[in-house]
Amino acid sequence: MEIDRIDGRSPNQLRPLACSRGILNRAHGSASWSQGDTKVLAAVYGPKAGTKKNENPERACIEVIWKPKTGQSGKQEKEYEMILKRTLQSICILTINPNTTTSIIIQVVQDDGSLLPCAINAACAALVDAGIPLKHLAVSICCCLASSGYVILDPTKQEEEVSVFL
Amino acid sequence: MEDKSSGSPSSLVDQPVVPGDVVLDLSTMPNQTIKLGGGLRQDADVITVMKAGRLRFLKPNKYWVESSQKRYVPRVDDNVLGIVVDTKADNFLVDIKGPAIAFLPVLAFEGGTRRNIPKFEAGTLVYVRVVKANPGTNPELSCTDASGKAAEFGPLKDGFMFECSTGLSRMMLSSPTCPVLEEFGKKLSFEVAVGLNGRVWVNAASPATVIVVSNAIMKSESLSSTQQRIMARKLLEKVQ
Repeated sequence: MEIDRIDGRSPNQLRPLACSRGILNRAHGSASWSQGDTKVLAAVYGPKAGTKKNENPERACIEVIWKPKTGQSGKQEKEYEMILKRTLQSICILTINPNTTTSIIIQVVQDDGSLLPCAINAACAALVDAGIPLKHLAVSICCCLASSGYVILDPTKQEEEVSVFL
Repeated sequence: MEDKSSGSPSSLVDQPVVPGDVVLDLSTMPNQTIKLGGGLRQDADVITVMKAGRLRFLKPNKYWVESSQKRYVPRVDDNVLGIVVDTKADNFLVDIKGPAIAFLPVLAFEGGTRRNIPKFEAGTLVYVRVVKANPGTNPELSCTDASGKAAEFGPLKDGFMFECSTGLSRMMLSSPTCPVLEEFGKKLSFEVAVGLNGRVWVNAASPATVIVVSNAIMKSESLSSTQQRIMARKLLEKVQ
């Protein structure tokens, strides 16, 4: 039974991916990741000396700042920041540079669905560009449950809005 | 995400590798001493890659990942260009583009005693050697070589400093001489100091020479040696 997606993809098909690194001149590492029309820019600064007060000084600290495309940062952005921080903490080797802070800044350029996975991929590419020691790479994909009961991968914004579960 | 483990060590040598690639499986190679350089780490029985780059191997047993970044990881016996940030009682605080700020002891100069401490203001560019570089502590520097002589270390006056990547600095210091510097050296006279932390200082009699040499070095990062020679000759024709 074939399900009809608006842009004609099969349920398991992803949108075309594009990634480029080293695009920002002043950042120590940078990457842009786009899946179809969703585009995210990530910049990495660091490691810089000093950690924040509540963080463990024996490990490196990772700080994530999420800038939405328009408007001010709100609760949704804070939630994205926390999810990204936990993900990146699990792939970075934190014991190599103790008492340092690495800042990762995510800028949403265009949002057409599947935003958080696109940002995770962009952040991982930017960390590799900056030379931060990583245990392994992180890859993420978005899947959602459509109203007809099918699981579809890499939804666009229209599909996300009508889906039952994301 | 499972990666395929390469049983034979030579399959990834000289290839681009990304973090998480398994380079060696130690359980298949008993009783061997392997020396690991930068970019690799040991995880129980396997050696995995930490930084993306090209894997290199030197006989008999040295492996390392060659990568080029904008930030610098301090290592002992590297010659770097630092900028003085602050002065304390016993040390100058020097920024060398690494994760921690470095200390330059006030007495680490040739013939340095408490009476003739040099006065460096904030912003002075110094050519120094890394003496101590441990992961948790601030690196220590010195303006003398191993035997205590000055040997060209110290503050650099005049000239122009620009930043580049660590890979470009290593290429400029490699032997045989980097093609760009060789071509320019045939026609122009200039001084250059290359820091392994990604900073380069150029000085010459006229500003035009300084500008031509700096721009050529900045552009030569992605060019092969023949392309570098062609670019250098074209720029020289325009200058003269």
